[in-house]
Amino acid sequence: MVQEVLLRLCAGFIKTIELFLLTLAGAVPLGLIVAFGSMSKFKPLRIVVRFIVWIVRGTPLMLQLIVIYYGPGLLFHQNIWGMGTSGRFTAVMVAFIINYSCYFSEIYRGGIESISKGQYEAGQVLGLTRRQVFFKIVLLQVIKRIVPPMGNEIITLVKDTSLARVIAVYELIWAGQTFIKSDGIIWPLFMTGIFYLVFSGVLTILLAKFEKKLSYFN
Amino acid sequence: MKTSSKILICALVLVLCASFAFAGGKKEASSSDKAYVVGKGTLVVGITDFAPMDYKEGNEWIGFDADMSKAFAKELGVKCEFIEIDWDSKSMELENKTIDCVWNGMTLTDGVKKAMATSNPYCNNAQIIVTKKSIADSLKKAEDAKKLKFAVEAGSAGEEAAKENGYNAMAVDTQAAAVMEVAAGTSEACIIDSLMAAAMVGPGTSYPDLTYSVALTTEEYGVGFRKGSDLVSAINDFFKKSYADGSMMKAAEKYGTQASIIPQK
Repeated sequence: MVQEVLLRLCAGFIKTIELFLLTLAGAVPLGLIVAFGSMSKFKPLRIVVRFIVWIVRGTPLMLQLIVIYYGPGLLFHQNIWGMGTSGRFTAVMVAFIINYSCYFSEIYRGGIESISKGQYEAGQVLGLTRRQVFFKIVLLQVIKRIVPPMGNEIITLVKDTSLARVIAVYELIWAGQTFIKSDGIIWPLFMTGIFYLVFSGVLTILLAKFEKKLSYFN
Repeated sequence: MKTSSKILICALVLVLCASFAFAGGKKEASSSDKAYVVGKGTLVVGITDFAPMDYKEGNEWIGFDADMSKAFAKELGVKCEFIEIDWDSKSMELENKTIDCVWNGMTLTDGVKKAMATSNPYCNNAQIIVTKKSIADSLKKAEDAKKLKFAVEAGSAGEEAAKENGYNAMAVDTQAAAVMEVAAGTSEACIIDSLMAAAMVGPGTSYPDLTYSVALTTEEYGVGFRKGSDLVSAINDFFKKSYADGSMMKAAEKYGTQASIIPQK
């Protein structure tokens, strides 16, 4: 029994890790684009982007999952996800990446706006273009400053992956819960906590190392 | 890093121990569950919003199961309190003593029988296929549905029925989610309780295009208590008595479930 539980939990855990890594891979770059949009000098774009960020940050991720997956079929009678498991996974990825890039964008914006204007001016005096100033002077300092808040969001993401179960993507919590439903055994659900703790523990250590590596200016 | 990882390892070992403590938590039920409930003066009934068994009218829970639980509590000489629970956590709620029984049109599946002590069955139910009207017309018998993609509630009687019939089924969270799958077109059909299907789909609901067709298996509803509870014999006696004096049928007629009641002898 213990062996079967571990096997099933590991299968769920792999799905959890997939969700986690792919969301990060999508949301980290997309967040930067959203951040630029929300800081744009072009007012309509800025308003639209900030409106979207408001919607995404202002509603539960669970609701967003349901709307993204069931919405097209229910509202427009046009199921865009098809039937079966791959459509579900894609829908989760879309929801997670949009959600997390909005959160990340605000962290990026905070980081970028924390760099003093004087540095941009100094760069221009030295004859650098705006682009050069951003990538050669500003960005590195921004990365340093946003590692702690990003770490916070990244660890939240580890646990948010459990929301994927509402549209039947079989991640770790789902795997733990099946034993309650079919065999009346509760402890596998509690055991999933260990997987999450190990995972976030490893991430905490990695993030601490990364932060240390970036401490060269001090 | 060294000390922090040591602390981390200690913490993990602690959690590991704790989770196995849950595994070993097979303590025998205290001397008498009935005495415990009578002692505290309330019977706490775990339910979900599930017409016609338990549902709200104004501030009061009514329905066939709700009325019967009130009568049972009166028989025990205690107050009856209803608590809405997450259906997935029903056995945990019981063992945790946050509720005293699960009385909510609960199908007596093997999983349920393993997880709790159950009463005699008191009501029949069927697992029924719900699908879009256009598909329903071509369904005459269970085999016709083999080519359809199903959604079923994980661990439900509907999932068991799908397995028995060799259907291509996807497990989802709840029966309501399974119906939503069909309406959204992410699945072609679902298998849910016939009592629920009667209330949920068709004209006047949010799912006017859906209808129910073939019934797959019939099954029975029972009431769940903590493992080893002596309330089971109390409720079986109560069922016999209320069936004999006609009060059970009277309650059933009020909610239109009289055809499904199982005679209690």
